[in-house]
Amino acid sequence: MEVLREKVEEEEEAEREEAAKRAEWARTEKMMRPVEVRKEETTLTQEMLRDLEKKLSEIQIPISAELPAFTKDTIDISKLPVSYKTNTPKEEHLLQVADNFSRQYSHLCPDRVPLFLHPLNECEVPKFVSTTLRPTLMPYPELYNWDSCAQFVSDFLTMVPLPDPLKPTVQKEEKVLPKKYTIRPPRDLCSRFEQEQEVKKQQEIRAQEKKQLREEEERLMEAEKAKPDALHGLRVHSWVLVLSGKREVPENFFIDAFTGQSYSTQDERFLGIESLWNHKNYWINMQDCWNCCKDLIFDLGDPVRWEYMLLGTDKSQLSLTEEDDSGINDEDDVENLGKEDEDKSFDMPHSWVEQIEISPEAFETRCPNGKKVIQYKRAKLEKWAPYLNSNGLVSRLTTYEDLECTNILEIKEWYQNREDMLELKHINKTTDLKIDYFKPGHPQALRVHSYKSMQPEMDRVIEFYETARVDGLIKREETARTMTEYYQGRPDFLSYRHANFRPRVKKLALSSAESNPRPIVKITEQFFRNPAKPAEEDVAERVFLLAEERIQLRYHCRDDHITASKREFLRRTEVDSKGNKIIMTPDMCISFEVEPMEHTKKLLYQYEAMMHLKREEKLSRHQVWESELEVLEILKLREEEEAAHTLTISIYDTKRNEKSKEYREAMERVIHEEHLRQVETQLDYLAPFLAQLPPGEKLTRWQAVRLKDECLSDFKQRLINKANLIQARFEKETQELQKKQQWYQENQVTLTPEDEDLYLSYCSQAMFRIRILEQRLNRHKELAPLKYLALEEKLYKDPRLGELQKIFA
Amino acid sequence: MNRLCDSMEPKVMDDDMLKLAVGEQGPQEEAGQLAKQEGILFKDVLSLQLDFRNILRIDNLWQFENLRKLQLDNNIIEKIEGLENLTHLVWLDLSFNNIETIEGLDTLVNLEDLSLFNNRISKIDSLDALVKLQVLSLGNNQIDNMMNIVYLRRFKCLRTLSLSGNPISEAEDYKMFICAYLPDLVYLDFRRIDDHTKELAEAKHQYSIDELKHRENLMQVRLQDERARQEELEKHKTAFVEHLNGSFLFDSMYAEDSEGNKLSYLPGVSELLEAYKDKFVIICVNIFEYGLKQQEKRKIELDTFSECVHEAIQENQEQGKRKIAQFEEKHLSSLSAIREESELPNIEKMILECSADVSELFNELMMLEMQLVEQLEETINMFERNIVDMVGLFIENVQSLMAQCRDLENHHHEKLLEISISTLEKIVKGDLDEDLPDDLRALFVDKDTIVNAVGASHDIHLLKIDNREDELVTRINSWCTRLVDKIHKDEIMRNRKRVKEINQYIDHMQSELDNLEYSDILD
Repeated sequence: MEVLREKVEEEEEAEREEAAKRAEWARTEKMMRPVEVRKEETTLTQEMLRDLEKKLSEIQIPISAELPAFTKDTIDISKLPVSYKTNTPKEEHLLQVADNFSRQYSHLCPDRVPLFLHPLNECEVPKFVSTTLRPTLMPYPELYNWDSCAQFVSDFLTMVPLPDPLKPTVQKEEKVLPKKYTIRPPRDLCSRFEQEQEVKKQQEIRAQEKKQLREEEERLMEAEKAKPDALHGLRVHSWVLVLSGKREVPENFFIDAFTGQSYSTQDERFLGIESLWNHKNYWINMQDCWNCCKDLIFDLGDPVRWEYMLLGTDKSQLSLTEEDDSGINDEDDVENLGKEDEDKSFDMPHSWVEQIEISPEAFETRCPNGKKVIQYKRAKLEKWAPYLNSNGLVSRLTTYEDLECTNILEIKEWYQNREDMLELKHINKTTDLKIDYFKPGHPQALRVHSYKSMQPEMDRVIEFYETARVDGLIKREETARTMTEYYQGRPDFLSYRHANFRPRVKKLALSSAESNPRPIVKITEQFFRNPAKPAEEDVAERVFLLAEERIQLRYHCRDDHITASKREFLRRTEVDSKGNKIIMTPDMCISFEVEPMEHTKKLLYQYEAMMHLKREEKLSRHQVWESELEVLEILKLREEEEAAHTLTISIYDTKRNEKSKEYREAMERVIHEEHLRQVETQLDYLAPFLAQLPPGEKLTRWQAVRLKDECLSDFKQRLINKANLIQARFEKETQELQKKQQWYQENQVTLTPEDEDLYLSYCSQAMFRIRILEQRLNRHKELAPLKYLALEEKLYKDPRLGELQKIFA
Repeated sequence: MNRLCDSMEPKVMDDDMLKLAVGEQGPQEEAGQLAKQEGILFKDVLSLQLDFRNILRIDNLWQFENLRKLQLDNNIIEKIEGLENLTHLVWLDLSFNNIETIEGLDTLVNLEDLSLFNNRISKIDSLDALVKLQVLSLGNNQIDNMMNIVYLRRFKCLRTLSLSGNPISEAEDYKMFICAYLPDLVYLDFRRIDDHTKELAEAKHQYSIDELKHRENLMQVRLQDERARQEELEKHKTAFVEHLNGSFLFDSMYAEDSEGNKLSYLPGVSELLEAYKDKFVIICVNIFEYGLKQQEKRKIELDTFSECVHEAIQENQEQGKRKIAQFEEKHLSSLSAIREESELPNIEKMILECSADVSELFNELMMLEMQLVEQLEETINMFERNIVDMVGLFIENVQSLMAQCRDLENHHHEKLLEISISTLEKIVKGDLDEDLPDDLRALFVDKDTIVNAVGASHDIHLLKIDNREDELVTRINSWCTRLVDKIHKDEIMRNRKRVKEINQYIDHMQSELDNLEYSDILD
């Protein structure tokens, strides 16, 4: 029980905080953003998104109190609850209080802008601003914290935050203190004078370059500079203030609802504050805003700085910061009632708006119509809801070269739920380079694919998720003449393979690319150090010069050495003077060994090494060839995927998952059919007879007996009728057959073979029908008495004919 | 067991036989031709098969240092011998011979597979060195005691065992017993042991196995304790203060001091001795702790030094490698340019350029090396000074502490002398109350005797203290000298090696160039 209560409290707390975060303070303000923008925006929303609009209306109270924010055609007023159309007495009272307050205020401060206290709502009813706020806890975790919540709200407005310019993170290199025995650096024998001269020269050049650059920049800036705003400081705007204290909010900050971005209260773009309100009270700023909002002190309990409207919540700080926040708690409200009467203070009436409800579809769609276009300086951002585009496109960023947005520089397209795991497509229009980024899970383990054309043997780089590949391939770079592969984590320690090709020899036009691979000139392979082998036996690099029939080996360098062993094999096979094949001669293997060893000088050793290398060469050639094939395969697959662009659907997504939908429908159908069958079996055999009797009366014994008899006789009649029907059909069929037979016997001689066939087939069919009818008749005869008895039995047991039993009892 | 070969003449394993075998089993075809041309060295042979050759005595195998696999099956060998040099042996087959005892395998630490099938062995032992043993075949022998199995428990890698055809395999409990005592075994007598059998066996022999395990564990624990103690002592020894963290020194002073022991029975001496011991031990412990601290300091000093030196060398090597890489890149391109060039004067000019490059590389590398040598020398000298200072300080402090010990001893000696003389006076006067042991009373004959006795005890004590001090000082000094010597020597070795390496590389490059020249001239 204790736990449960805690949980409830938590929820309440969350609810309150939610309100605090989302809609704590909307306020009028001088800002650059005109109000009209928002109004236009609201006309875009659909009926289906009405709830969301309401939410917006709560947060973003229209500044102009006289004009209703919603035009009538966008919202069906008749469907709105009564609270939208009328004011309760308490609300009326509040409005009076507000009017009074406003009058006093304009009397005291005649040169300030009139207060924004009770704008008209969508039903053209004046409502006090604080009552438009209703703290609500939404079921989506994303709406629990201010940042994602603000983001969500901003998605419904035309403004979307500019992404933070990526600041380069300057890594400070930690200076290691010189250790005691660190060797002294060698003496620097360079001329310092020369260095200085050099540095000076460099500096001069750099300064000149910088100057040029700056001039250029200035010129550009000049061109792009917006004209100074004539209405600077006069525009009004409303935004959200979050006060510190609860939910680990360390300090006050602003949230601009258009961008969803948070700003420090020191931000100079916020020029001043007229007033602010929450769902409990309304405050007027009495502080000077000459220095923007930088000097404002947000201690709302201070009546000198913040003139409050209602006395009810006069606490030293906003109630949010207090431990026992009793403002919303119902019990506390009841408790406070008496006190308030004594204080003659006025309690803020309960909000008149309905709770916001956001359907999962609407939540997922986010933007009105699921699509949104934001224009930036030299850039355009388009957003779509997931699954809206058949190719999974969710957003596209287009950057332009010029301010008029005509010359496209590059396009970035983000995708979601793609079956081929494509995540981002980056197209650079100037270089024509396309880069596709993939999430883990592509069938070919692709990670990045950058290319200019989908034709094979062109410049391209393919990166892979190496852990998903058996061969540990990380990257494959291709140019017209080379192919380079990078590996990681292979048991043979291969790290790099580079193949040079010669242009393809012209062959018959028939041969395709597959059957005519480009001849390989050179294969270079590099290996990581294999710790199990000594360095002088561990090959670091081997080069197969296929054209020159040479193989070069370079070994790893030992830890305490600076030179590495090398070996070169000439694999030309020659014939000696006697015509015998020379197997191996010392000059076929030139080697440099760091530490000469005995056994490596042996011809046998060299011969075996060469044989091994020959095998390896064949393998490597094969490998290169296979890689080429794989590239072809990948390209083919990519083309297919691009053409198909199927989307994946989560098994939990019951709306979109066709399979589960079908299954569910099938299940429903089965249940429905089952139900129908049950209804059928429960056919009421007494209904027609009971209908003849006056309804609602209990049957007398006589009536019951008559009812039973009638029912039985009726059933008997039906059985007889059925038997007769079958009998009649049987007889008719038999007669027809007899007639036909007669006709046949008469005309047998003159009949053509076709007619005879026709007759025979008719006969067999008729015989079949007759046999079936006969069977049915027999069966009916057998079953009829049983059915009759069963009905009688049932009638006896029927509760409505209980009278019958009494007789026999 | 009676085989045909018994009646045949035994053969001797001589050079010819071995050469023949090696030739037959060596490389074939083209490689074989090469091998024949060059001859095969016995030490290059990895595998050797000498079966069905009627060999009686294993001999002449000492040259096969790198042999991995040796097959001597189906001979008439009676004794395992002559295998001491074959330390790389992994596989040894001695099946179908006449061996009676297992022996001569103590050096074959790498052996994994041992077959002694069909011999006359009656006891499994002398296999202790074969820690890597995985497969052991002892079928068709005369092992009759089940307890031989327990011996096999020490081979942690043993997975396959065959014992069929032995008297013990007749026992009805044979399989269960082996499964229970060798739980890691996978194959017994060429059959896989299924889990069911293992469980059954375990259940059946649980008690005896548990007991055995318990005993083994106890043994293990004791061994570990012993090792830990040894390590601790070793640590103290490196700090040169072993046996100073207690009353060892004090006890050793009295161990050989018969007079002192006798005198301790004098009235009042035991209390005096007690106090003396306490003070003495405190000083000893001081020395001990100081020694450990100093050792730690020296270690840190040494570690820092080696780290710095290592870093310096690494850095230098990297530079060298970079230089060489740069050179090689350039060199390769110029070499190919030379190959493609057809004009003889041009070629000569280019070759000259190349050789100039080579000598420049040599200069650069050598300069790097000389630089490093200078830098290291400076560092090493600095380290030497510091470490010598440290040792000197340590010795000084230990000596002053030891002097305190001596003071204590002197003080004790005076007190003891006082007591002795007063006792003597009492005895002379005849008013000694207590009884003294007879041998002690024998000392109180006259003043000289007792003074001598006390003096002798004192001398022994001082000697012990001096000895301990001397030992410490000598050892730490020699450690210091050795360390410094080693550092110098290592540096010299390193330098020599690097210079040699550079020279070798340069020579190679030069000779390559020369070859090119010749071949061009020949062309």
